[in-house]
Amino acid sequence: MYKLFLTVRYLRKRRIAYFAVAAVTLCVAMVLIVMSVMGGWLEQVKKQARGMLGDIIVDNRDYAGFPLYEEFIDEVSQWDEVVRATPVIYTAGLVRFPNTGHTGKVNIVGIRLDEVYEVNKFRSGLFYEKYYPGTTSLSEQDMPVIGQDLDAEPISTADGERAFRPFELPEPEKSAYAAARSSLKLERENGTNDFGVLDGSLNSFLRENGQAPIPGFFEYRVEEPPARTGDKYPGLIVGKEIVAKREADGRYKQFYPRGSLVTVTLWATSIDGSVDPIPLKQPFRFADESRTGIFEIDSQHVYCDFDLLQRLLQMDAAERVDPESGAVLGKHPARCSQIQMKIAPGVDALALCDRLEKTMHGYMDDARFELDEHERRLLSRVEALTWEQSQAQLIMAVEKEKILVTILFGIISLVAVALILCILYMIVLQKTRDIGIVKAIGGSSGGVAAIFVTYGASVGLVGCVLGTTLGTLFVTYINEIQDVLIRINPAWRVWDMQVYSFDRIPNQVQLTDVLVIILIALAASTIGSLAAAWRAGTMQPVEALRYE
Amino acid sequence: MSEAGIDTARAAASDQGGADARASDAALLRATGIHKSYRMGSTNLVVLRDCSLSVAPGEFVAIMGKSGSGKSTLLHVLGALDVPQRGQVLFRDRQVFAPPEGRRLRTSIFDVFSAAETHRNQLRRTQFGFVFQFYHLLPELTVLENVLLPRLVSESIFAWRSCRAAARAHATQLLESVGLGGRLTHKPAELSGGERQRVALARDLVHKPKILLADEPTGNLDAESGGNIMAILQRVHRDGQTIVMVTHDPGIARSADRILQLVDGKLRVTHETGDIV
Repeated sequence: MYKLFLTVRYLRKRRIAYFAVAAVTLCVAMVLIVMSVMGGWLEQVKKQARGMLGDIIVDNRDYAGFPLYEEFIDEVSQWDEVVRATPVIYTAGLVRFPNTGHTGKVNIVGIRLDEVYEVNKFRSGLFYEKYYPGTTSLSEQDMPVIGQDLDAEPISTADGERAFRPFELPEPEKSAYAAARSSLKLERENGTNDFGVLDGSLNSFLRENGQAPIPGFFEYRVEEPPARTGDKYPGLIVGKEIVAKREADGRYKQFYPRGSLVTVTLWATSIDGSVDPIPLKQPFRFADESRTGIFEIDSQHVYCDFDLLQRLLQMDAAERVDPESGAVLGKHPARCSQIQMKIAPGVDALALCDRLEKTMHGYMDDARFELDEHERRLLSRVEALTWEQSQAQLIMAVEKEKILVTILFGIISLVAVALILCILYMIVLQKTRDIGIVKAIGGSSGGVAAIFVTYGASVGLVGCVLGTTLGTLFVTYINEIQDVLIRINPAWRVWDMQVYSFDRIPNQVQLTDVLVIILIALAASTIGSLAAAWRAGTMQPVEALRYE
Repeated sequence: MSEAGIDTARAAASDQGGADARASDAALLRATGIHKSYRMGSTNLVVLRDCSLSVAPGEFVAIMGKSGSGKSTLLHVLGALDVPQRGQVLFRDRQVFAPPEGRRLRTSIFDVFSAAETHRNQLRRTQFGFVFQFYHLLPELTVLENVLLPRLVSESIFAWRSCRAAARAHATQLLESVGLGGRLTHKPAELSGGERQRVALARDLVHKPKILLADEPTGNLDAESGGNIMAILQRVHRDGQTIVMVTHDPGIARSADRILQLVDGKLRVTHETGDIV
């Protein structure tokens, strides 16, 4: 009984222990905050990476692609495990905006938009598709123009003047916007918006007069009614970071209105891997912007129609011609670079990947198909990977960063262990005579040692409870805290959205992380008390009583 | 100081023991051939040489000697607080410095966790009571809690739940008997030296020890306070409490039945009936 009694009494009365408690509190809170933010960041990266690719990716990592994708898709689509499969082509090229002359290197990805919508979450990252559903297309299109409805009744402005009816959109954007207004929040709660700087005066005007702002950056002409203009070109979806620049406060500065002209330059790769030295130039219209949240993707990818890109790259089906005689020997099957798949829930993805690979490799010796040496080679390199395997490099980088930062903060937390050791040792020295008294009246050495071990564990327990509470509260309100700091001084922005892809600081407190941190902190506190406990336990009573 | 109060406090505790003490000539505590030395660098300082004594039940023995003569060391050895290099102490004919099974005593740092030390802990917890010159109260505990400390050491958490009320009542009664009934919640720092020594006495009597070992109990007190303490000791002695007291003051030693002198590490009897030779 005396062990517990004295532990509690010393915990209350020895104020120096409060420093040890504070150290444990801060260390626990610090590690919890780091693990939660890094863990949240990792989950966001995984979510975004998965959203872009689908569940399984079949790829041979060759710009020349691989043949027989149509036959493969037809076959595996019959399997219960496969919900949907769609082919993709990718190549490298240059993108140029004639308005500004900006030219940049990009990865050009050819997709079948409707199929991709079913396979992954590409649609949720499209800006104009979100506010004008159904209007994003990769087919030929012209440029939408915002104008005024000159026949409509003027509206009253805030200062009592009468002004023309606010700017309106052409069809189909107008109907799509009207339909989306009732279900979508047009302005985000955090204050950032995607309406664009050049939209500022327009949307400010609309807001001031009780009108909903129009999301997006369209070309607008004040004196003319809403319309469409220009030659029709195929649509191109462009990564957000190519057509806009993110400011430190999260807002984007838009450079190009929807429908702007974009030129893509690319080089065809033949089946034997040789690159055509003559580049191809294809004009497009800027149809939509894609934002995944991952900078590497949003700054380097553009998306166009699959069939168009296949044609441009000469990867479509062609006749196999004898170079000497000119006779038609057969047909080269069409090629693609990748197949993305959505699989049914609960399916063993790794086992399915094995099966898909075997099926594809089986085509090499399938008598139905006449494949030449190059086509066989391309097929032999095909792999089926889960989304995690294909993004392993990106995910592993963030995972390792999380582990490294956690370890570093854990090492710093050893300071708390050292502090507990010093404080408890000091308390033992101060309490030497008390220890002698307790032993003189029959307290055992083990009992006296247990007092200090329990004391150390109690310090750890109190510190853990306070640290977990502090850390959880901080993580939960971390974005609000940053908002307050930014309001006080904008230079105090810690989470720079120009550097990190996500708008808000990821914050996800995992129960397992909390339990692990608590256990380690308790163990560390107890270990920190062992030296003091040993000294207390091994003291001879007479020496302790004589201690000054 | 209330004599009746002291009597009441001791009556229930020592009736049986006091009677036995007067009736029997068998020694309660016997030490033979105690040899204790301390290593000081290359020098071996011999403090006790072949000391032997026996204490009968109910006897009041005073040990006198010059400062540094080894009186406290002898008391600590008798009370199993310290371990001699040679010699034996028997309490009720049972060895103090060896476990009941007779294992050899080791005096290393690991001795504190040995069976022998466990045995000595048990003796100090149940059979011995110590009164120190400097009171040795725990400063964070109140007066009542200090007195209860031996009971807290003896009882487990579960046992304490059932005996807590009785223990508190007994401790309160003891404190009232030493005139500190109104100071239960005070801390030691709020008491005078004499009051602290009375608290220490009450603490050492709360678990009804068979033998009280007092090391200069009045050494740090003024004459009046010292007189009060001696009055208490005489009272409990009259009730049958066996006391071994160390002192350098002949006036204090006069209270004892027998006075022993510690000279050059050896014990000599100087007085048995009250007169100092």
